[in-house]
Amino acid sequence: MDNTDQVPGKWQVEGEMTIFTAASIKEKLAALLSASSRLEIDLSGVNEIDTAGVQLLLATKKECQAKGGDLTLVHHSIQVLDVLDLCNLTTIFGDPVVISSN
Amino acid sequence: MAKTIMIVDDSASLRQVVSIALKSSGYDVIEGVDGKDALSKLTGQKVHLIISDVNMPNMDGITFVQELKKKPEYKFTPVIMLTTESGEDKKSQGQAAGVKAWVVKPFKPDQMITAVSKLILP
Amino acid sequence: MGMEEALQTFFVESHELLQEMEDRLLAIQGLVVDEDRIEAINAIFRAAHTIKGSAGLFGLDGIVEFTHVLESVLDKVRSSQLVMDADMISLFLKCKDHVSLLVGLEESGGVLQGSDQATGQALVAQLSAYLQAPQTNTVHEEKTHPAITYPHLDPLALESAGGGVVDNDNWHISIEFGPDVLRNGMDPLSIFRYLGTMGTIVQVGTFFDRLPGLSEMDPETCYMSYLINFSSEADKTTIESAFEFVQEDCKINILPPHSRIADFVSVIKGLPQHDLRIGEMLVQCGTLTERELAAVLAYQAAQESGQNSTEAGTKQPLGEMVVQAGFVQPAVVEAALQKQSQQKKTKARQQQSIRVDAEKLDMLINLIGELVIAGAGVNIVAQRSGRADMLEAASTLSRLVEEVRDGALNLRMVQIGETFNRFQRVVHDVAKDLGKEIELLISGGDTELDKTVVEKIGDPLTHLVRNSIDHGIETADIRAARGKPAQGKVHLNAYHDSGSIVIEVQDDGGGLNRDKILAKALEKGLVESVHEMSDSDVFQLIFEAGFSTADTVSNISGRGVGMDVVRRNIEALRGNIEIQSKYTVGTTIRIRLPLTLAIIDGFLVRVGQSHYVIPLDMVIECVDLPEENLNSSKGSNYFSLRGEVLPYMRLRDTFEIDGESGRRESVVIVKYGNTRAGLVVDTLLGEFQTVIKPLGKLFERIKGIGGSTILGTGEVALILDIPNLVQQVVRKDHHESSRLQVRH
Repeated sequence: MDNTDQVPGKWQVEGEMTIFTAASIKEKLAALLSASSRLEIDLSGVNEIDTAGVQLLLATKKECQAKGGDLTLVHHSIQVLDVLDLCNLTTIFGDPVVISSN
Repeated sequence: MAKTIMIVDDSASLRQVVSIALKSSGYDVIEGVDGKDALSKLTGQKVHLIISDVNMPNMDGITFVQELKKKPEYKFTPVIMLTTESGEDKKSQGQAAGVKAWVVKPFKPDQMITAVSKLILP
Repeated sequence: MGMEEALQTFFVESHELLQEMEDRLLAIQGLVVDEDRIEAINAIFRAAHTIKGSAGLFGLDGIVEFTHVLESVLDKVRSSQLVMDADMISLFLKCKDHVSLLVGLEESGGVLQGSDQATGQALVAQLSAYLQAPQTNTVHEEKTHPAITYPHLDPLALESAGGGVVDNDNWHISIEFGPDVLRNGMDPLSIFRYLGTMGTIVQVGTFFDRLPGLSEMDPETCYMSYLINFSSEADKTTIESAFEFVQEDCKINILPPHSRIADFVSVIKGLPQHDLRIGEMLVQCGTLTERELAAVLAYQAAQESGQNSTEAGTKQPLGEMVVQAGFVQPAVVEAALQKQSQQKKTKARQQQSIRVDAEKLDMLINLIGELVIAGAGVNIVAQRSGRADMLEAASTLSRLVEEVRDGALNLRMVQIGETFNRFQRVVHDVAKDLGKEIELLISGGDTELDKTVVEKIGDPLTHLVRNSIDHGIETADIRAARGKPAQGKVHLNAYHDSGSIVIEVQDDGGGLNRDKILAKALEKGLVESVHEMSDSDVFQLIFEAGFSTADTVSNISGRGVGMDVVRRNIEALRGNIEIQSKYTVGTTIRIRLPLTLAIIDGFLVRVGQSHYVIPLDMVIECVDLPEENLNSSKGSNYFSLRGEVLPYMRLRDTFEIDGESGRRESVVIVKYGNTRAGLVVDTLLGEFQTVIKPLGKLFERIKGIGGSTILGTGEVALILDIPNLVQQVVRKDHHESSRLQVRH
């Protein structure tokens, strides 16, 4: 299977990406991944994110890349940017973000 | 939006002092008189942290946490449990129930604020 | 809500707990069922435990110390290591008394007497004897101020041996989180944010090597490890404590600034990631320079080649590293703790208020009372002298005295909120006893009234609240049938209204049943005929002695205090009580009380040679009695005031004063609650500051007189009890009853 030509699966996460929602978000992401290994996740609606949320994004990125695709994060909300910044993960994801003054 | 903390203790004065301290640090506070009362007040609203005594009438703190873990909205809510130095058996029960944060009674308001800050900042 | 208020709650709560402790202790010998005994022992333990916990919050160390020992013994009893026998019960009772004493002393600001101190020490000795029983040698560790415990203070590795020193000024923290951290509600990010409050997180390096792809991961398991380059002035203990709640689940390595090269070997070995990746991350985070990293790796290589080959190449678990690393030196910890406690002391709240002995305050009020009277005397002399300068000086003096009086009375004013808040517990307990679900609403808690009044209102109010819950709020099934929510509501409210304070106890319960009350009243012979009785008249019947409509006498109401006692208590405070109720809908009981009991602004009048004072805030206006009513004492008791018919009474008749009224009579229109009435007097003398003196026994029984005062001239004036008189006027109007008389 060559996935590079696939139409990216798009999804906008709403609300919190935390330990409380991790299980259901994982299911949703897994469903998207089974359709396409190129995903574009819109994070503008994420009002809270914790380590569980960060892990989900990292694991998705890993699996996308393992399947020859990639994960693109767009429209990071302030809450997401704060956390990625704190953990120094912005460059890992490699997505263009509005640079905050660190 | 301020983070919400629930304090569960059968001592009204303890609840008041902790409340005052938390509120002045910028948290919202709801109170529960015992485990049963606290459960009845947890009706789906977001609570970021629960502080609970172990020894309470009606429903003790351990049972309260065990019940809490059955509720999807609160199963991962961090719990600070108040204990006595002599309460080692209770402590192992609490740890089995998933309580990792313990504060020994008696404590000063400042100590509680510090303990809370380690789990959530206002 | 402030700390002072919380402290008051503590006092009240402690007394309640101690009372419960005593009750339980007294009852426990009679309990034969094991479960009952266990419950009683738990309750006794909890009382000591709660008092200790709360006392600690307020820094009441004496109470903490004593209750700590008591609690320890009770804990032994609770865990069946000791059996509670008669000796122990009497010892516990003595301990309860001692705690009562200690709490009482804090409350009154008193000092522990030498003899009491000795009693306390003797009790501690007796208690300790139980703790020193052979099997219990580990329990009694005297820690009067235990800080938050560090369950295992030891595991944090802080190495201090080997190699050169790195250049970095910052702390290095590496941490591998355990799998259950997130499930337990702990978020690594929160810890980082907390670290951020005690320094600057220069850089965080995130390792997610352990994290599998999405489909294999458990979304609730934690897979993360981090390196942190942390700049902070904080000491080791403080930084360690940030990880207090997760350290049991995590592998943590903290290195102070300028740690040795060798220390970083342990960091690298402690993490599961590849050595070079960790090294790169350390450089990336700014913890090590490239050169330092090279030195670390070289050191590691040398170490490994020097050791036996079994360890080389395999990752050593951090647990073992920790054992090697040794502990933080005690001296360092001690110094750090000392520093912390110093900081806490300087932070101590500055007291905003001072506590004054109530007796001193009463003495001051009394003196001001005398001053007011003396001032009135000066006024009279000044008027008689007719000297302008004298009059002016006297008037300045009066004004100042008035201000001093107001200020002093204000000192005694307290908010009723404290009293109200106590009812949370009462409601909770009573509701629990009766198996009802009740919510207590409180409003108007900031309404102020005289301390004396507040103290005396507690009991009647408790009775009313209990009554509301017991007789007012229906059982859940009846409430459901009436379409009400299962949870009943009791509302305590307070507000000021024309010189009085009004306290309302409102419930959404079953309301009063007029027919039932009337039937009962007839049965008890309290009324003769049920005709023409207004609802409020009927409801007032429940305040008659020996009246009770409850179908079943419950534990709550079976306390031998009836509503008649409530009314008597309220009336003793110069207040009155009224009821509004609608059957099946709810009841409001309204208590109206004077703001203060000591000094009032009065309105002085004269009838014949006697002076009377009417509380000024009840006076609406003064008019001349219309001519057609003059000398018509036998005739109508009404006159028309601007078209409104107003009942009136002649004080001359009421108090049986000899002599004829003058050609001109005046009417003072007074209002109490919603009722207005006229009092006919000979002469109006004007406003007058009135110091209320209690009446002698002889006069206590005269209806219509509330107290006495002394005029500047030394004469005695009687203070009219307007609520009573207004009632009399209205009743007279109903029943044509003749005179108010001295009862026997």
